[in-house]
Amino acid sequence: MAFKFNPQTIKKLRRFREIKRGYYSFIILAAFLLLSLFGEMLINNRALVVSYEGDLYFPTYSAFHAGTDFGLDYPYETNYRQLQQQWRDSGSENWVLMPIIPYSPFENDASSGIFRPEAPNAEKEHYLGTDSTSRDILARLFFGTRIALVFAIGFMAAVYMIGVAVGCAMGYLGGTFDIVSQRLIEIWSNIPFLYMVIIVFSVIPDAFTIFTRILILLGVMVLFSWTSMTYYMRTETYKEKSRDYVAAARVLGASGSRIVFRHILPNVLSTLVTFMPFTIVSAISAITALDFLGFGLPPPTPSLGELLKQGTQTLRTAPWIVMSAFGTLVALLTLVTFVGEAIRESFDPKKFTVYK
Amino acid sequence: MNFLKQSYRETTAMMRTHGLKMLLLMVAAALLTACGGDSEETAGSTLAERDVTPEVQAFYAANPELITFATPADIPTDLVWEDGMDLPDIGSPDARKGGTYNEYLEDFPPTLRFVGPDSNSSARSWISGFYRLTYAVPHANEGGYIPGIAESWAIDQENKTVYVKINPNARWSDDEPITADDQMFAMFFNLSEYIQAPFSNNHYANEYTNITKYDDYTFSMTVTTAKPDMAEYVLYLSPVPEHFYKELGPDFPERYQWRYEPHAGPYHLAEADIDMGVRMVLRRKENWWAKDNKYWRNLFNPDAINLTVIRDTAKRYEAFRSGDLDMFRIATADMWYDSLPDTDPDVASGYIHKSTFYNGGVRGNWGLWINSSRPLLDNLDIRLGIQYASNWELVISNYFRGDVERLNTQNDGYPDFSNTDIAARPFDIDKALEHFANAGFVNRGPDGILVNDQGERLAFTLSTNYDRYADVFTILKEEAIKAGLELRIEILDGAAGFRKNREKQHDIYFMSFAPSQSMYPDYWQSNHSDNAYDDSFLEDGTVNPDRKIKTQTNNLESIADFELDQWIEEYDDSSDKARMIELSHMIQQRHFEYASFSPGFAEPFYRTAYWRWVRWPEGFNFRFTTYPYEMFAHWIDTDMKQETLDARSDGRAFEPHVEVYDQYRGL
Repeated sequence: MAFKFNPQTIKKLRRFREIKRGYYSFIILAAFLLLSLFGEMLINNRALVVSYEGDLYFPTYSAFHAGTDFGLDYPYETNYRQLQQQWRDSGSENWVLMPIIPYSPFENDASSGIFRPEAPNAEKEHYLGTDSTSRDILARLFFGTRIALVFAIGFMAAVYMIGVAVGCAMGYLGGTFDIVSQRLIEIWSNIPFLYMVIIVFSVIPDAFTIFTRILILLGVMVLFSWTSMTYYMRTETYKEKSRDYVAAARVLGASGSRIVFRHILPNVLSTLVTFMPFTIVSAISAITALDFLGFGLPPPTPSLGELLKQGTQTLRTAPWIVMSAFGTLVALLTLVTFVGEAIRESFDPKKFTVYK
Repeated sequence: MNFLKQSYRETTAMMRTHGLKMLLLMVAAALLTACGGDSEETAGSTLAERDVTPEVQAFYAANPELITFATPADIPTDLVWEDGMDLPDIGSPDARKGGTYNEYLEDFPPTLRFVGPDSNSSARSWISGFYRLTYAVPHANEGGYIPGIAESWAIDQENKTVYVKINPNARWSDDEPITADDQMFAMFFNLSEYIQAPFSNNHYANEYTNITKYDDYTFSMTVTTAKPDMAEYVLYLSPVPEHFYKELGPDFPERYQWRYEPHAGPYHLAEADIDMGVRMVLRRKENWWAKDNKYWRNLFNPDAINLTVIRDTAKRYEAFRSGDLDMFRIATADMWYDSLPDTDPDVASGYIHKSTFYNGGVRGNWGLWINSSRPLLDNLDIRLGIQYASNWELVISNYFRGDVERLNTQNDGYPDFSNTDIAARPFDIDKALEHFANAGFVNRGPDGILVNDQGERLAFTLSTNYDRYADVFTILKEEAIKAGLELRIEILDGAAGFRKNREKQHDIYFMSFAPSQSMYPDYWQSNHSDNAYDDSFLEDGTVNPDRKIKTQTNNLESIADFELDQWIEEYDDSSDKARMIELSHMIQQRHFEYASFSPGFAEPFYRTAYWRWVRWPEGFNFRFTTYPYEMFAHWIDTDMKQETLDARSDGRAFEPHVEVYDQYRGL
């Protein structure tokens, strides 16, 4: 059975499309997200295609190729930019196709040999300049934003899953369960979140990979953020539960889970959806703030917060760092907020229900 | 040190609201907690009366071996008394007293105590370090002792005893006289469990076997071993004011939390000059007892030292540029060359001066401390590979711009004692790969990191608590990948990092121990197996299979070498300098071969920018100084300050001053 939106939802979606500002923001964000999934093909120091002695190589996602694989004299990863230049200069038959921005977010590329911020330079393809250890800012921004967005979406999904489940249960079951859970949640939500992040991060074993560490950070943040959602869900469920249609369903013999999932949840969905973009905004801000303070993603992971921090330290000497990071953050948060406003407006029941 | 960034109070409630507010709230919370000291009660007001004197007397009576009372007639007559008055003067005779010197504090001290919990904070040097006098002090240019609290002293190397005559004019900062009783009390104080300072307890229990009082101003102390620098064990002590610690007891940390101990130096901190969490003002005593002393008369020039808490480097720099701070020490190359270049208008017009001063003495040993008790790292070839895969040359040339020097051993810079034949291993990918291959790592994985037959990746965690060197680690990491080695960087905050290496949980740790001021390096702490494992070896010198890691020691490399142990023990027990030097070279050679320390860099100078009105003696500063303001040889010229400020607003320029003082370079 194909999933069908109910006419109400379709109406809401149409309304959302009519709010141009939010709609286009959504398109831009979605396009960026889609694009960033293939980010390695746009911004990378590994070549897209290498043609060497008749064979084609695609190093972007494949295994690493030592310099010796392409007739160079070093055993470590090939420097494809150099290779490209070398083959061009020598008029060789071999060729290299580099991504649009031929830098990885990790490598130091100092033109003067000294690691320091260098101003934007289109000729060298550092379009936003380099940071304090001569890493390409655009590459770091791009992958930093990707991590922040994916992180925020993951955060939102997890927070909603727990928040909705617990909130619904509280509202639907009510009674002692409700009272006890509420008190527990009050206590839980008073544990200082930042301290917990610091403490947890100081005890997790260092053998974990960066990816695991990011997951742990996500876990800790979710653990201390799901509570806010339960308040809304609880009241909404309470409200819906006392409606006639729920009573009718119960009389017809529907089970508790059927009532919750088929009847109550779809009706409280609009509340949930309007919160989503704002949860994303707060998640992006939180991860940026944590990085800024040095408690977030482990270095050298590219991140907005880390760039902002560098930027504030080099305000006088390298203003392009703070400008890029700040600009990206503002643009990102503005776009998400636009989407959020549009959703809120299109889901506003006042638009459709008029009591006279 | 940037300890615990603990001032951020934060609740999940903030997550509920808009995220951007979070940052603001954090900042606000940080400010609030920074002022948290206000709520602390001033100790003493609600505490019960206490008198420790009977306890002290009972302690003296119970330990006649340790604490002896004698008469002046008991002082040996054949002693050679020295007063250290024949060394050259220090400081400039042009120095003028007066003015206020403005400095910053990284953080407000958690306590004003000199000892006990939390006393080792970043503000410690300002509370007790720079201006506190000991019995004798090393001459800042020549070495050798000059008198502090002591008027004269005599060293009886044979009987391991040092005799000290206290200057009868010496006064505590509350004008009470300093007597031998205060040194007797120091013995009780430092051995007492009340002060909650295990290091002091151990040090006094292990290093001193006797103290004898001859009269009110004369005492002697006997040390355990007649080391070549034995005299320092006594002469570099400070007495402890008995009258001030009358209320010493189990509640010492709370009771004395915010009381400022009197000392013999020129600056005093009055209660009215403490603005909790914000500022402290040290004031020079007009009638300081040693103000006319040959060595001290040209030092300690500013009338007041205004210490303001500024936590962030960028903010400190802005405070300096606006003239709120008189001086700004610059460690990193990017600040020195890019933020404040010689072409900066304030520098070029001579309002701000820049000086680089090459000092002498021992350097900090920045490097990679490899924990050889960890899996894979226990393999010598892996450790050698890591040495060759660490591109310190690139760090030094491209990050530090060639200003710092490569360190060669863990203990560089001790005249005679450092083995100068040892040269640190260079960055060499081929050699690194060769050693990694010997250890079974031959093939590279898809990311270029070496993998062995069991599928293990050649990856280690590089932990540190020095986030200011974060750029150094990213360079090392990127370069190590070339040799197939992955370094996972883990930057911890101060306390977490400290705990990690104390508990030997690190693979590789980047740090430096504070440079020691002693004549020769101490190997026992960091290279002896006593500090690596419990019962490292069986009777016959073979490795004990059941040995367990010993935590809370300075042997961060977990070195346990039976022969090395013998040498270190002989070195520690020896009082023959020539033999000690020979052993020292052998120990360093063996340590080099063990390859568990990748020597990083050493800073052979300090450099600082300061406003024109901060004046310095000829040659800038003294050979054995680590900080420009350590001896307060500089002075504040208040007339010049006005002149400079006026000139700056009128656009009048002065001769620029960018100087390198390298008279002590390489010494």
